[in-house]
Amino acid sequence: MIAFGCAISEPDPYRRYAEPGIKRAAEPDSAIFPFASVGTIGRSYNLLLDAAAAHEDLEALVILHPHTEITDPSLGAKLREALADPEVAVVGCAGATGVRSIAWWDGAVSAGPITQRYVEYHGGEVPGFAWAHPTPAPAEVEVVDGFLLALSPWAVRNLRFDEGLMFGHGFDLDFCMVVRQAGRKVVTAELEVTHHRALELISDLELWVESHIVIGRKWEGKLPGQDGPTVDWKARARRAEAEREAARAIAYSRRLAFDAGVETLEKQLTGLTETPSWRLTAPLRLANRLRHGLQARRQPPAAA
Amino acid sequence: MAMIAFGSAITKPEVYRRYAEPGIRLGAEAGSEVFAMPSVGSIFASYNALIDQARACEELEALVLVHQDATIVDAHFCEVVRGALADPEVGIVGCVGAIDVRSIAWWEGSVTLASFVHRYHEHGGGDLPAFSWVWEEAPPYARLGEVDTLDGFLLVLSPWAVENLRFDESLGQFHGYDFDFCLQVRAAGKKAVTADFRAIHNHALEPFDDPEPWIQAHVRIAEKWDGRIPGVGTGAGSWEDRARRAEADRDAARVVDHTNALQYAARVQEVQRGIDEMRESISWRLTAPLRRWRGGGAGGGTTPRLPLRARLARSETRDR
Repeated sequence: MIAFGCAISEPDPYRRYAEPGIKRAAEPDSAIFPFASVGTIGRSYNLLLDAAAAHEDLEALVILHPHTEITDPSLGAKLREALADPEVAVVGCAGATGVRSIAWWDGAVSAGPITQRYVEYHGGEVPGFAWAHPTPAPAEVEVVDGFLLALSPWAVRNLRFDEGLMFGHGFDLDFCMVVRQAGRKVVTAELEVTHHRALELISDLELWVESHIVIGRKWEGKLPGQDGPTVDWKARARRAEAEREAARAIAYSRRLAFDAGVETLEKQLTGLTETPSWRLTAPLRLANRLRHGLQARRQPPAAA
Repeated sequence: MAMIAFGSAITKPEVYRRYAEPGIRLGAEAGSEVFAMPSVGSIFASYNALIDQARACEELEALVLVHQDATIVDAHFCEVVRGALADPEVGIVGCVGAIDVRSIAWWEGSVTLASFVHRYHEHGGGDLPAFSWVWEEAPPYARLGEVDTLDGFLLVLSPWAVENLRFDESLGQFHGYDFDFCLQVRAAGKKAVTADFRAIHNHALEPFDDPEPWIQAHVRIAEKWDGRIPGVGTGAGSWEDRARRAEADRDAARVVDHTNALQYAARVQEVQRGIDEMRESISWRLTAPLRRWRGGGAGGGTTPRLPLRARLARSETRDR
C-alpha cells in the first residue's frame, strides 16, 4: 500500500492543491494522513512516519507539502519502479549532486516534469527549477527537495527527521544525509507534479540563512560537495565574504538588466496601444465590453 | 603657472574619444595638461605612469584620473576641484563616496554621495541616475564631505597624493585600486572627500565579466588592511562564524538572483500575453490595412515606419 501524508498548517492550500493530487494518485487501498502540523517540520513529519509505520503492508509513504499537487496518475507505478531497488530509501521530484549546503540547487540538479504555478503578474506557469538548468530525472542524487518526498518502508521504520531544526529549512537535506550515512540511496524520478507557489523562492531569507548556518555546522566536513573538514577557517571566511559581496553585486546588476528588458517590452506594448488604428477602434472595444457585461447580467444564476 | 592635469589610461581609443575626451574638453582649462595614455598593463601600473607624468608638471594643482568610459559633465569642474582641495588635509576627491566601508564592495557601506548617471547600452540603452544626480531629489543622507572611499571612475588627486603615494601594483589588474588608494590616503592622515561635480559612467549593467579577479582582489585587500584601518577586513565572531554567515549570505544572494530571474520571466510572459491578445483582437485585425498603408509593412506593428519618400521609392522599385 502506498500511503500519503501531509502536515497542514493552513487547510485551504491542502484542499486546493495537495488533496486533489492525492485523490488523483491514490489507489483504492491507499492510506491518507492529513494531520495538523505540530511544532517543527521534523516533528510533524515524524508523526506521519509513526502513522505510516503502523501499516504492515506499506510500500511507500509520500509526504507532500500542502502546495504540491500531484498531476501524475501513474505516480504509484513510478514509485514502485524506483523503490524496486532495495537500496533506495528516498524518491523525489528534484534533487542534486555536489551539494555543499542547504542551497542544494547550486549543485548539479536533476528534475522531473515539475511545473511551478504562480499567481503574481496575472498568473502563469514555468517549468520548475528551470533556473537551475536541471538534467532530466531519474538520477541518483544526494538530496531531493522536500516539497515531495517518497520514503521506502525501511526509511519510515528506521529513520526520523531532526526535530531540533527550528527554522523550517534544510530538513530535506538533513534527512537525505541521514539516509546516505546509513548506506541507502536518494533518487529523483520522473514524477509529474505542480508546485503552486510564489515566484519568490524563499520568503523568509533571514530564517533560511540561520538554517544554512545550523545545517552547515551539523554536517561540517561531511556534505558531499565539501573536501572534508575545514583546516583554514580564516581563508574560508575571507573567500566567502568576497563571494557574498560578488553575489550581491551580480544579483543587483542582473535585476537592473531584467528591469531594462521588461521596460523594452512594455514600451513595445505602449507603442502598439498608441497607434492611430488602435485608438480609432477604441469605441468598438468599449461597445464589445458593454455587450459582454450585459450578456453576463442576463444569464440566469447557476443552480445551487 | 598653476594647472589641473587630466589623465586617462586607454585600452580602447574609440571609447576614450567617445566618452572621456569630450568630458575632459568640457572640464579642462586653457592651461590644463591632458595625458591620454595607452594603458601599460594593469590599471594600477597605468595610473602610476600617469602620476609619474603629472609629477613632472610644475605647479600642479591636481591630477584628475578619468576612466576612458566616463564623461565629466560639469563646465565648472576645475572650480569645484579647487574648492575641495583648498583644505590641505584633502588627499583625494570624487563624486561618489561612502562611509563605513569595509571592503572593495564600497557600495555595501553607507553611500553619502552618488552624483553620476550609469548609462548602459543593453536592451536599447538607458540611463540610471544615481541618488544625488539631481540635488533637489536627493535623499536626506546625501551630503558632501569626508568619506572612507570613493568610486574610482573619476578621481582627483591632490599634489600631495601625486607626490607621495602610488597605486599598489601587487593587488591585481583592476579591482580595488580606488579603495586601496583611499585607504593609503587615510593611513597617511589625509582625507578622502566628495565634491559637487557630476559625471556619466558608460558601462554595462553587469559589474564584471568574471567575478573571480574581483573576489581575489577583495581577499588581498582585506588581508592587506586588516588591523591597519578600523573596520576593514574585520567582522563579528570567530573566523568560523564569519565563514558560515558569509556563505549563507552568499547563497541567499544567489536565491534572490534566481527569484529575480523567475519574476522577470513572469513579467515578460505577462506583457507578451498583452501584446499577443492585442494582435489577435478583432479591432487590430480590422485595422491591419491601415497600418500596412502607414508602415508599408505586413501590419504586424513591429515593422519600422519609413519616411514617405522612402516608402514611395520602395513601391516604385517594386512596381518596376
